[in-house]
Amino acid sequence: MRLKIFLVLLFGSISFFSCKKEDPLTVDDISGLGGDTWARTALDKWLYDTLVVPYNIATKYKWDQSELELNKSIVPPKEEKVIPVMRSVKKVWMEPYILQGGELFFKKYSPKLFVLAGSASWNMDGSITLGTAEGGRKIVLYQLNDFKNKTMAGYVPADSAILKQMFHVIHHEFGHILDQNIRRPVAFDEITKGFYTADWINTDDYSARQDGFITAYALSSPFEDFVEMISIMLIEGKPGFDNIVNSITGTSIRGTTEDQAKAKLRQKESIVINYFKQAWNIDFYTLQLRVRNAIVNEIY
Amino acid sequence: MNQNRIYLKISAALILFSVFIFSACKKYDTAFVQSPDERINTAISKYQSALTGSAAGWNATIRTQNGGIYHFHFRFNDSNRVKMFSDFNLETASTARESSYRLKALQTPALLFDTYSYLHLLSDPDGDVNGGDNGVGLASDFEFSLDSLAADSILLTGRVHGTKLTLIKATQQDFDTWQNGRWANTLAFENINKIQNYFRRLTINGVNYEVRINSVTRMLTFTWIDANGNTRQFTTSYYYSATGVVFVTPFNTGTQTINGLEVVSWDAGNSILNVKVNGVAATIAGATKPLRVDLSAPQRWWQTAANSSGYWISFDGFHVNGVDDAFGLKTIPNYYFVVYWPNYDPGSNDLFAPVFINAAGNGLELLYGAAPRAQFTTDGRAVFTNLGFYGPYPTTGPAQQSLNQLLLPQGYYFVQTGPGSYDMVSSTDAKAWLSMELVQ
Repeated sequence: MRLKIFLVLLFGSISFFSCKKEDPLTVDDISGLGGDTWARTALDKWLYDTLVVPYNIATKYKWDQSELELNKSIVPPKEEKVIPVMRSVKKVWMEPYILQGGELFFKKYSPKLFVLAGSASWNMDGSITLGTAEGGRKIVLYQLNDFKNKTMAGYVPADSAILKQMFHVIHHEFGHILDQNIRRPVAFDEITKGFYTADWINTDDYSARQDGFITAYALSSPFEDFVEMISIMLIEGKPGFDNIVNSITGTSIRGTTEDQAKAKLRQKESIVINYFKQAWNIDFYTLQLRVRNAIVNEIY
Repeated sequence: MNQNRIYLKISAALILFSVFIFSACKKYDTAFVQSPDERINTAISKYQSALTGSAAGWNATIRTQNGGIYHFHFRFNDSNRVKMFSDFNLETASTARESSYRLKALQTPALLFDTYSYLHLLSDPDGDVNGGDNGVGLASDFEFSLDSLAADSILLTGRVHGTKLTLIKATQQDFDTWQNGRWANTLAFENINKIQNYFRRLTINGVNYEVRINSVTRMLTFTWIDANGNTRQFTTSYYYSATGVVFVTPFNTGTQTINGLEVVSWDAGNSILNVKVNGVAATIAGATKPLRVDLSAPQRWWQTAANSSGYWISFDGFHVNGVDDAFGLKTIPNYYFVVYWPNYDPGSNDLFAPVFINAAGNGLELLYGAAPRAQFTTDGRAVFTNLGFYGPYPTTGPAQQSLNQLLLPQGYYFVQTGPGSYDMVSSTDAKAWLSMELVQ
C-alpha cells in the first residue's frame, strides 16, 4: 500500500516538474552558418565559371586559418596571382587528364578543393613546404605571390622551380587518388622491397636514385614511391625521365649497383605505364607528352 | 522493526526529494535578453557600419610584437573591399592598393584582411620581404579581434601575435596627406641607406653626429663628441609621421631636445638628405672617416680571434659602392662564407679564403687560401699584405677580386658592432666594407 502511494507521488512529481521541450524549429540566425559570404568580384566569377560549374572544384583564395597549419606564419595570396595560377593548373593537370581519361573520369576523381596561400610554409629546419594535400579532397598550394610563368614580366628561368614544384604536388596527389581507387599492382612494391625507410628525410634525390628511387621522398613507402614515379614522369616528360635514369652512376651506400638501380627504375616505369592502361584505359605516354608540353609552354 | 520503518520513510522522502530536484525545470536567468548569435550579428553589423561610415577612411596605427610602429590609412567599402596606404616603404606610401576584408565571428567579432595587402608585408614569413626572420617576418597580424568601438575609434588586437591596431576616424585632410604624397616624402628618409659611405653624418649647428640607421627594426643611433671631448652615444627607435621621423625617446643633445627630424628632401645627385631639426635646416650626408677613430679596434679584432683560436667569417663578402657581395662570391658553386683567420700559422701568417660546402653536403672544406699578415698603424688602421698562398688560389673571379680588395694599400678602419662582430671599412672612401662575426 505504502509502495503504491510512493509510486503515485513519484509519478506525480515527475509529470509536474518535467520541462516543456522547446520547439525545435526556432533556430537563431547563426553567424557564418553555411560558409563565408562576401560581395562577389570578377575573380570570384572567373573561378566559379571556370572551375566550379564544369568540374565542381572550389578554390579558396581568401584567408581561412583553419585550412592551414595553425602554428605557422602564412599569408594569403595576392589577388592578381590567383587566375594565373589556376589557369596554369588547368593547363598542366586538368586538360591533359580530361583529354586522355575523359570528362567523366576527371569529374569523378578530381580533388574538389584548392586552398591557396601567398607565402611558403616555413618548417622548423628552415626548409619550406610548397604544397600539401589531404585525403584526396583538398590540395594546398603555397608561395603564390612568387608565382611567375613566362608570360609574366620579369620572368627568369629560376622561377620555374616554384612552378614545377606546384605541378609536382598536384600530380603527386592525384596519383594517390588513382592508386586508392584502383590499387597499384603488387609487383610494384616488390621491386625495391626492404629499402623503404622513414629516414628518407636524410637522403638526397641523387642517393635515392642510386637505389632505384626517383626521389628521396619515394623512399618513404611504396605508395609514395608509386605516385612520385607518376608525378616525376609526367612533369619531366619522357626525355627528362630518361635523363634522370641515365645520370645514375656508381654503387649506392646500400650496395645497389648502377645497373640494378637503372633496371629497377625501368621496371617501375613499365608498371606505371601498364597500370594506367589497364586500370584507367589511359595511354600514359600520350598523357606524359601533353603534361610536359603544357609545362614547357609555361616555363620556356 | 520500528527502526526499519523509519529508515524506509527517510529513504522514501530522500528519493522523492531527489526526483523533485532532478526533474525540476531550471528557469534560465539569462544575463542577456538576446541570444549569443543575435548579439554577435548585432556587433558585426555595428562594426560594419562604423568601418564603412567614415568617408575619409581611418588612420591606423599598428604596433607589432617586436615593437615597430607603422601607420596605415584604410578606406573600407560595403562590398568587402579596402583601399590602403602604408608607411612601410616608399611605394606603399605613394600608391593605394585595393584588397579584400571581411568581418567574421571567430569566437569574438573579428576583422580579417583576407587577401594580400600592405598590412601583410609585415606578417610575410619571407624575411626578404620585410627584413624579419624567415618563418615569422615581423611577427604582425592581419586577423584582429574587435575589442571596442567608440564614436571615432576602434581598438583591435591581433589574433596570433597580439599586435595592437588602433583605428581613428580620419579627416579629409588626413586622407589628403597620403594622396598628395606627404607621407611618401617622409619615407625619403630611407634614402640615407643609399648613401654609399659607411659613415653617415648629421650636422646641426656645426656639431657632427654620426648616424647609424637600421630601417628593419627602425632604430637610430647617434654618436658624437661632447664639449669635454668624450664620445657619447644615443639610441632610439623611431617611426614616421606625415612630416618626418619621430623619435620614441627624445634626444637630449645637451643644448637642445630633439623629438624628431622633419624630412625636407632627398638630393639624389649629391646623396644628401635635407632635414630640419627643431625648425633649423640640417643635412645627413656620407663621410669617409669615423667621427672618432677607434684606435685600438684593429688590434682588438685580431687578438680576440687569436686568443680564442677562433676566426672571423662573413657570409656576404665585401660590400662595395652600394652593392652587397660586390664580387659575387655567392655565385661560386657551394660557396658558404669567407673566412679571415688570425694567426692561422702561429707567429707567421693569417688565412683569408672562401669556404665551401663539401660534395657530400655534410661538412665544409677549404680548396685554397691566401696567407696575409695584418699590420696596425698608429692612426687606427689595419693594413694587409699577402705573404703567399695555400693551394692554387684563383687568378680571376670573385675570390681573386675579394683578395685584391683586402690588400687595399690604405687599409681599413674597424668598427665594433657587437661583442663578437666587427665591420672593417675601407679607409680611402668608406665605400667598401666587410661585416664579420666571430666563430670560436
